Amino acid sequence: MEVHSSDSKSFRSVYEQVFPVVMRVAYHITYNMDVSEDICQEAFIRFYEKGIDFQSVDEAKYWLIRVVKNMSINVIKRKAREDATVERLKKAPSLPILNGEQALIGDETRAMVRSAVERLPEKLKSVLVLKEYADLNYKQIAGILRISESNVKVRVHRARKIMESMLDREEMHVS
Amino acid sequence: MCLDDQILNTYLDGELGEPWKTQVIEHLNYCVACNTRLEQLKRLRETLLSSALTQQEIQPHQEKVLSFIEKNIIEKKHINIFRKTFRVSMPMVMATAAAFVVILTGVLLFTRPDGLPTGQIIPNVAIPSAGSVVQVRATENLSAAKLLENFTLEEILQYLSSRGYEVEVKVKEIQPVVHQTDQNEIGSEKPAEEPTVEQ
Repeated sequence: MEVHSSDSKSFRSVYEQVFPVVMRVAYHITYNMDVSEDICQEAFIRFYEKGIDFQSVDEAKYWLIRVVKNMSINVIKRKAREDATVERLKKAPSLPILNGEQALIGDETRAMVRSAVERLPEKLKSVLVLKEYADLNYKQIAGILRISESNVKVRVHRARKIMESMLDREEMHVS
Repeated sequence: MCLDDQILNTYLDGELGEPWKTQVIEHLNYCVACNTRLEQLKRLRETLLSSALTQQEIQPHQEKVLSFIEKNIIEKKHINIFRKTFRVSMPMVMATAAAFVVILTGVLLFTRPDGLPTGQIIPNVAIPSAGSVVQVRATENLSAAKLLENFTLEEILQYLSSRGYEVEVKVKEIQPVVHQTDQNEIGSEKPAEEPTVEQ
């Protein structure tokens, strides 16, 4: 199905399918809900206003993911340049509380994983976020990031290795 | 030889091609160490996935952004079709305006409402105007014609009235000769001492 991004019907259908994906990508790079929302809004406005023809919804999705990923990386780069001592406003989304202890454990793991992803080097972070949170395969990631598939494979592996060691350290630290 | 992490990760992601995939499966059939490692990598992956933003968390933002875009971008764009603005460069506007003024001045100065040519109004003075640039020349055909200066005001007025024009002559800024009596009238309004000084 061809997609014309300025056609309001096409737009809504792409939006419905792709928004959750790009929101996850933005969030797991910036770890800030408000910033992620702004980025996604901006990306979809650009998408609509540019009036691009895509061969399929997937092609439109890759375009949007690339834009959102770049904007998110720019945000964290700018943030890093800004005074590091400024207290970071990490806005963890408020979750409906499930039941006492279970919810607590879940939240702890999430916080740990999130802070580990946050500390990954940019190149590994992009690949890992697209792999785990945008649910893309190596080929799709390679297309979006414009790198080779084997490069994606190596980066996924390295990112997981670093994640593993960071999470192990955290767990030991907690227990 | 056991499998390294990269191969296991690729296998885990379902991205391992043949014939390596078959070899890995065979190896995993008997190697306890590699199975354990694969389990660890699986768990790591599950941990990562479990921290993903949930649909529940995304939903309110999804609705908010969509309604913003619909209200501010999509609907506005529909209106814009009927309210297109045209941009013209400033020099272009100035040049057009200047040309218009020149032409209009020429036309107004040297035509009468009834369309009589200027030559009939003031003979030998005006030159037939072609439009934009107009120059008044009185020196043409000097031997045959008198210059405008050579006519007295009375002659000009007479001529014009004979051609059926009603001419009104006004004199600007008359400075009346001040008589002594006038001064006295003004002076009388001043304090009483002053007239005595004049005398």
